[in-house]
Amino acid sequence: MVEATALPAPKGTVLPGLGLTLGMTLAYLGLIVLLPLAAVFATAAGMGLDEILRLLMDPRTLAALRVSFATALLAAAINAVAGLVVAWVLVRYDFPLKRLVDGVIDLPFALPTAVAGIALAGLYGPNGWVGAPLAEAGLRVAYTPADIVVALAFIGLPFVVRTVEPVLADLDREYEEAAATLGASRLQVVSRVVMPVLLPPLLTGFALAFARGVGEYGSVIFIAGNLPYLSEVAPLLIVIKLEEYNYAGATTIAAAMLLTSFLMLLVINLLGNWTRRRAGHV
Amino acid sequence: MTLLHPDRSADSPVAIRIDEVSKSFGGTRVLDRVSMTIAPGRLTALLGPSGSGKTTLLRVIAGLERQTGGIVAFDGVDADRLTLRDRRVGFVFQHYALFRHMTVSDNIAFGLRVRPRRERPDRQAIARKVSELLELMQLQGLERRFPAQLSGGQRQRVAIARALAIEPTVLLLDEPFGALDAKVRKDLRRWLREVCERAQVTTVFVTHDQEEALELADGIAIMNRGRIEQSGSPMEVFEDPRTPFVCEFLGNVNRFDCTYGEGYVEVCGAQFPVDWGGRGAGIAYIRAHEFEVVAREHAEGVPAIVDAVHPFGDAVALEVRVEDRPRTVAVSISRELWELGEIRKGDGILVRPNNVRVFRAAS
Repeated sequence: MVEATALPAPKGTVLPGLGLTLGMTLAYLGLIVLLPLAAVFATAAGMGLDEILRLLMDPRTLAALRVSFATALLAAAINAVAGLVVAWVLVRYDFPLKRLVDGVIDLPFALPTAVAGIALAGLYGPNGWVGAPLAEAGLRVAYTPADIVVALAFIGLPFVVRTVEPVLADLDREYEEAAATLGASRLQVVSRVVMPVLLPPLLTGFALAFARGVGEYGSVIFIAGNLPYLSEVAPLLIVIKLEEYNYAGATTIAAAMLLTSFLMLLVINLLGNWTRRRAGHV
Repeated sequence: MTLLHPDRSADSPVAIRIDEVSKSFGGTRVLDRVSMTIAPGRLTALLGPSGSGKTTLLRVIAGLERQTGGIVAFDGVDADRLTLRDRRVGFVFQHYALFRHMTVSDNIAFGLRVRPRRERPDRQAIARKVSELLELMQLQGLERRFPAQLSGGQRQRVAIARALAIEPTVLLLDEPFGALDAKVRKDLRRWLREVCERAQVTTVFVTHDQEEALELADGIAIMNRGRIEQSGSPMEVFEDPRTPFVCEFLGNVNRFDCTYGEGYVEVCGAQFPVDWGGRGAGIAYIRAHEFEVVAREHAEGVPAIVDAVHPFGDAVALEVRVEDRPRTVAVSISRELWELGEIRKGDGILVRPNNVRVFRAAS
């Protein structure tokens, strides 16, 4: 009788190391991300519920949160459009100094944000190169939320460009040519062939730029003028509370920001997943 | 056949005329005054090595590239005057370029759905058309799949179905079998012929595989360095190659340097008449199957040593070393002869060519 060769049946998965790597992942996430976040909520909870509500309903807090989220959303939206164009140009065309331009995109990643803020303040401030002519024309950008949007657009641009770029590079010209030979107009090519593929990375880039913008502090405080109710952002308000030794107050605002951001990112990601499924990434 | 053309069954397939077409990219000339006519309703192959300009010519016909000079005419109409949409070419890309965010059905229906509203068939008509094509392409059951979930052969069939959906006047295929493995290639070749015959559409395909072109096409144009070296039926170009390049490209050939004179040329121990007088250097080509092989004891022929034996086909391929030649000569003989002669590596045999093609060497 022939004995069957006994190969040990793989248990569950063929790739080894799931236990170890998953353990490390969870431990790392726990220590670096979840624990500090938990501490924020724990500290905030140190205050009574009344106190928390009073603080959150404070018009100045609400105004700061509104400024932070509105400017971050607007800047991310602007970047979604501008970043798509930049990525398109970088992938589709060849031009002199392309690599230099490509490198410049990453500078907002590397620059200390305070430096960016000072530079922008110099430009767009009432006496700046751009700010002065604008002020003369009756458009005051300095010390208004418009200034914050400019700063956040600067900070967030690379997020969109760098997420869209590889997907666009992967989208061969042939797809557009195929659509064109099948009779699609240029508009139909873009709306039916190009955009469905670019939408998921565009949403991811948007989410990253938005998340970065909501938490932005360094560049904004130099340029925004920080007028309460008008151009004061939530992170600044947190710092003010901290300077008043009002730790519980600071963490409460932080917790509110966290929750709002979390919900918004959740929605964006769900949308992203939905478009990704529609884009046929199996 | 009316299955694919219920509304234009009276239309006859389109003839394509290519007149002195040139194309340059930057400073490089990729097509150099190419002229040819493509017969309506026939299957034509553009055959050539990579870089010969065959894909560029195909793209010019499709309207995906604009020629730098010359005219492409569809049934006598200058194609430059037609938009890409009006040319109605079905183009099948080498890597198919299926829209990966669309199902098989949506891919096939794409060309119908993007039509302007007044020309667009209604929903049911599109669905009918798609299911007809799914059946023709033997893709039933795959309509809800995405391209990523298909095999290479299935993807190719979807790409062809998508191109046929717009009822093209011309079907153009760029290396249709290039991305498939050998087994699938052979099956699909026969099948593609059938589809083209049934669809009654003028078809042009690009290939670098001479066997594919000879087997599949009604007409072949052999391209080299942006020019057409020769065109004609497979039989014509195979039997009567007009240039050394065509000779080397078609069939398994051996090249010999020779000298001619007095109306004769001597190659490999045999004399053949040539059409021209005078004396000079020539290049002679002998195909592997154009040798007679005999064992050594008998007369007539050039002595040769068998260097390798490849008995893996309908014929047996030998590599033999003819005394004064540095490169081995490819000789193919029938299996019966091989078994009879018990030819093995290292044996001495006599070879004698029974046919030769001679060209005067460029002076």
